[in-house]
Amino acid sequence: MLETYGFVGLFIIVTLGFAAIMILLPVALRFLKVVPHHPTSVKNATFECGMETIGKTWVQFNFRYYFYALLFVALDVLVVFIYPWATQIRQLGYSGLFVIAAFMGIVLVGYLYAWKKGALEWN
Amino acid sequence: MDFTLLTPELTLLVTAIAVILLDLFISRKGFLTVVSLLGLAIATVFTFGLRDDLSQAAFSKMLAVDNFAFFFKLLFIGIAAMVIIASTDYVSKFKNFRGEYHALILIATLGMMLMAATTELITVYVSLEVASISLYALSGFLKDGKSSESAVKYMILGAVSSAVLLYGMALVFGVTGKTQIGEIAASIQLSGYSNLLDNPALIMGIVLLVAGFGFKIAAIPFQMWVPDVYEGAPTPVVGFLSVGSKAAGFAIIVRLFFTAFEFPESLSLDWGAIYAVLAIAGMIIGNASAIAQSNIKRLLGYSSIAQAGYLLVGLATLGIAPANEVIGRSSILFFLISYALANLGAFVAIIAISNKIESDEIKDYAGIGKRAPVLALCLTVCLISLIGMLPTAGFMAKFYIFNGAVQNGLLWLVIIAVLNSVISAFYYLRVVKAMWFNEPASLEKVPSSGALRFSLLITTLGVLFMGIVPNLLLTFAEWAARILRF
Amino acid sequence: MVGLQHYLILSAALFAIGMYGVFVKRNAIAILLCVELMLNAVNIALAGFSRYVTPAALTGQIFVIFIMIVAAAEAAIGLAIIIAIYRNRGSIDPDKINLLKW
Repeated sequence: MLETYGFVGLFIIVTLGFAAIMILLPVALRFLKVVPHHPTSVKNATFECGMETIGKTWVQFNFRYYFYALLFVALDVLVVFIYPWATQIRQLGYSGLFVIAAFMGIVLVGYLYAWKKGALEWN
Repeated sequence: MDFTLLTPELTLLVTAIAVILLDLFISRKGFLTVVSLLGLAIATVFTFGLRDDLSQAAFSKMLAVDNFAFFFKLLFIGIAAMVIIASTDYVSKFKNFRGEYHALILIATLGMMLMAATTELITVYVSLEVASISLYALSGFLKDGKSSESAVKYMILGAVSSAVLLYGMALVFGVTGKTQIGEIAASIQLSGYSNLLDNPALIMGIVLLVAGFGFKIAAIPFQMWVPDVYEGAPTPVVGFLSVGSKAAGFAIIVRLFFTAFEFPESLSLDWGAIYAVLAIAGMIIGNASAIAQSNIKRLLGYSSIAQAGYLLVGLATLGIAPANEVIGRSSILFFLISYALANLGAFVAIIAISNKIESDEIKDYAGIGKRAPVLALCLTVCLISLIGMLPTAGFMAKFYIFNGAVQNGLLWLVIIAVLNSVISAFYYLRVVKAMWFNEPASLEKVPSSGALRFSLLITTLGVLFMGIVPNLLLTFAEWAARILRF
Repeated sequence: MVGLQHYLILSAALFAIGMYGVFVKRNAIAILLCVELMLNAVNIALAGFSRYVTPAALTGQIFVIFIMIVAAAEAAIGLAIIIAIYRNRGSIDPDKINLLKW
């Protein structure tokens, strides 16, 4: 039992070690004066191919996305309930079908509401 | 699965959906109030229709259809109807969101009705959240700074408290292996519990449950949200949540603790003691903080913390003397009716007055007695009932709770409670004095619409009726105190 | 062997971390995240109990599903309220949400 986990542990150690070496190597080389260190503003700039970057990386997402996230949550929740029902569809019979249909109907009203209120428009 | 036992709740659900859909497709928004009230009326009819089926377990023992649930269903329907009537003018502030307002009130009522009937931890949690989440949305309904801020505080503290509650439920489930409360009781009996150290996990679970429910009923030290929400949220919503949420919280506590944790006696003594301490803290801190308030909604917020303290005296009685349990439970129910009437009446009067003077500061209430005698008289009666003076419902309610406590050897607790009632008279009477004896800023009349006058009249007459002829409702409360165990 | 107590310790630790976060975080959304952490701590405890205390019944796991769903609804409402206050105030720092005193 424990041996099987041993390989996983070894793997984790190697992974962490590799990552640590890759991070520490340039620092170590700089201290050993193997690589030159002459920072300029051009060298320190964030490098991407193509255009120069504008602004910070900490941008705020437009909160219009929030409405889509909300609608997604409603659908997500629907699936969580439908899935257990679907696995037992035969045993649950018509009463189960009726309950799930009613549940979907309620979520559908929610979508209709969002649609009529214009939450699905992007403007 | 017998859906006829759920007809009152299903009616409210269908009404709420109908209100949302109607709001999308019709332009005469006044119609929404009518539809909501119609739905509540049909739900009442269905509730009475179930009277012959009382004392039944429904949905594999998840719901109880018993006297206790019947009582609370009627209470919540009544509260919701009063709130909807009282907000007929107020809803114009909500502009395009009147449909949502009515639908959310109905859904919150539905959640509270289910809370009074559930006998299983999962349904307890779900119904509690149905009620709470609707109330979070309702308290932020004005969308101005104060209202949103109160909603944020209410929501964050509510979410934390429900997490605490859930952790308690998880521990109770872990100890007993059951979620149905009757089965939990059986499992605790089997385990042979005799003192605290027998089962620390169970005690921890019960403490966390007390903490989680304490938030809903505004017990110290889980009361931080109360004053802010009372001040910031729309006034009809405050009226609704101050009585509805509190009554639902007590309904669920009484049923859960009475059914699941009553035996063995050492266990009920433990939680009875916790509630006695919370009662003292609630009364003292609530009353002491209320004295310093200058905003009437905030004052009623602290007052509701104190009222929760008086109610907790009843719960402590229930825990400490299970043998005399009927008096403990029926006095809690009676107090809840009287509190609901008096507090709703006070908030309806505040809605009417603040419509005109556009302020909730007590100093602006100067001379309201001259500008609107009827309004001021009704508010005075409601405040007197909250103090607990004759001849109002509040006196009778406190009398029954304290009487039950004294009979079961809690004299010291009752002495503290009576002293607190005396202190509370000071700040309630300050409002009364401002209304009748201070000079008004202007002599302009304060108008009030027919709907407001109607609901104010009903609540005030109810308060007086309960105070002068308490027998009728007391018999009802004793009948309703019968909780089904299974 | 991993036993029930491991689940319970993990769950208690997560719950405590979440509670700590609720009290110290200076950002309403971070507070919501901490509340989610607390709820998931409960889920772990319930799943653990369900596996070790009542292996034959699924009650605990069903409870977990319900908690997840209600938590989603709560988070949705919470974010909506936070957006409303951000529109009003331009900040979601609880220290600045101080129109009403605590």
